[in-house]
Amino acid sequence: MTKAHRDWLGLKKELPRKRRVQLTLLSFLVPLALWCVVSYVPWVWHPLVRVTTPGEVDYFTEDMDVPRGDFATESRKARDRGQTPPEGFRVNPVYLPAPHAVARAFVSAFQTPPRLPNEPWLHQSLGHSIRTIVFGFLVSSLLGLPLGIFCGTYRFAARLQEPFIEFFRYLPAPAFGALCVAVLGIDDAPKIAIIFVGTFFQQVLVISNTVRKVDPALIEASQTLGAKGWRLVLRVIIPASISDIYTDMRILLGWAWTYLIVAEVVGTMSGITFFINQQARYRNFDNVYAAIAMIGIIGFSSDLVLSWLGNVLFPWKRKTKVESRVFGRLWRRDSSTTLAPTAHTP
Amino acid sequence: MIAIDLPPEEYLQQRPHVSERFARIRKRPLILSVRNLRKDFGGDDQPRTVFEGVTLDIHRREFICVIGPSGCGKSTLARIVAGLDEASGGEVLLDGVPINGPGPDRGMVFQGYTLFPWLTVKANVMFGLEMGGQARSIAEQEARQWLDMVGLSSFENAYPQELSGGMKQRVAIARALASGPRILIMDEPFGALDAQTRAQMQGYLLQIWRKVDVTILFITHDLDEATYLSDRILVLGANPGRAVELIENPVPRPRSVDQFQSSEFLALKRRLEHHIHPPVETDGVDLLPMVKLTHAGDEVE
Repeated sequence: MTKAHRDWLGLKKELPRKRRVQLTLLSFLVPLALWCVVSYVPWVWHPLVRVTTPGEVDYFTEDMDVPRGDFATESRKARDRGQTPPEGFRVNPVYLPAPHAVARAFVSAFQTPPRLPNEPWLHQSLGHSIRTIVFGFLVSSLLGLPLGIFCGTYRFAARLQEPFIEFFRYLPAPAFGALCVAVLGIDDAPKIAIIFVGTFFQQVLVISNTVRKVDPALIEASQTLGAKGWRLVLRVIIPASISDIYTDMRILLGWAWTYLIVAEVVGTMSGITFFINQQARYRNFDNVYAAIAMIGIIGFSSDLVLSWLGNVLFPWKRKTKVESRVFGRLWRRDSSTTLAPTAHTP
Repeated sequence: MIAIDLPPEEYLQQRPHVSERFARIRKRPLILSVRNLRKDFGGDDQPRTVFEGVTLDIHRREFICVIGPSGCGKSTLARIVAGLDEASGGEVLLDGVPINGPGPDRGMVFQGYTLFPWLTVKANVMFGLEMGGQARSIAEQEARQWLDMVGLSSFENAYPQELSGGMKQRVAIARALASGPRILIMDEPFGALDAQTRAQMQGYLLQIWRKVDVTILFITHDLDEATYLSDRILVLGANPGRAVELIENPVPRPRSVDQFQSSEFLALKRRLEHHIHPPVETDGVDLLPMVKLTHAGDEVE
């Protein structure tokens, strides 16, 4: 086969592993390269001039950033008047720090003590954010998972619950900010509540929809084998949908992160949002970028971990031959030890 | 079509030992009685009757096949007996007791395998046993025996997705039999398999049936399959669905593939053929209103 006929774009089949890794790297490297070009090539963008010596221009001071046009006009005027012209070099605005500055900030932001004694360190801010999101998502899941499975299993429950939830999920979570503060105070409780409002209603609907997609033939087969009632739900409906529910949960956790930033400005500003705001106020934009990137890294890597964990937890979903069956046991463990009495109810 | 030079009623002629066997079967206790069964589909305003007046008595360890043209409701009949659908009229008695919903006393094997993908082969077979309240260790032991019987013990730790269609269906049979059903209902179980695997599976099924105390209600549209497997064949007609004939299969047991050319086999198949594909002018294919799109003289036949 000639090269021209190869499926370079992967229309028909999965790309080779090496190519996939290369492309994954490239997807990060291309934006990074663009950023580098804008930051390091002086004649690309760089709309300002940093004044090194003000010369004899009245309002210029050292380390001042002025628009390129103004700098040129003032230099010309100074030269025309026979005064010393100012000197300087082209820079980008302070809100676009160069990659190396942000990279440095990744480390230094953790080492820099807060300016005010009552302000948190960066790692404390991050910890606070993660705590808020974990609590919010946990509370939402504790209620949303069972309710979603219940609604997905029994049409009666779905009819009773879902119309209201469908209505409620259109109400934007931030709109409840003031209400949450009024009811729950200004600390963490209203923030957790916002994340809850943001995820819970979607969660119930998404999960009940997933559960409803369980192949009815599997349910029928289990009924002809004697499964009914709670055992049918526990031994058939939940295992049949658990891997899809898991994927739903991963996506929902991503949504929870977007609600985090809204939640943290409710009441007393806290967590990573507080840090970002504070650093922007001090014009430490390299720290701002580092903090934003940190959210991305935490989200992305936690999703990678969850994706890997999914492969371990649901071995039957893997395309390749299954090797480790340790975790697969989880789903075929006999739950009759706790449920044995119900088995004999007619 | 083979020329018919035998008397048309030839399929009713049974060798002495075949009719003796049927006499013995008739003396066995009744397992399942279908009485005057009717099924309607659609809403109250426009109900459509799928079949009506279907009556059938099945004795212990009989092998009953149900055949009929598509749309005669043979699958619906199986689902009603299994308790997955409700009858619109008439009743189904299992050991003289009216059935009420699905239960482990009526095992079912579906065309689409329906193995639980999250369970290994062994755990699939254990499922019904565990639902029946068996202790885990006993269930495991029994499941192993059933897998042995269908020749899949080396796959006990595989997941269903790793098996071929024929193997999946063997697991499904083992799973259905493991919970000790009074009757095994099989709804076109080999319909999705290729011809070679299907023939193999039919052989397996007869072997299993010989060794296990189970009565089989087998739905199929394959005349050879029905003739090869059955003791009696219930022929359903379509529009409206009804029982056309209940035939005692004259082909002697034990069955083998060699019998496919025996006179009894051919006679019975002709009779079934007559019911399922009644002779029509166009060979059973309606002529399409096609205009000729090729040149004159450019013929393929």
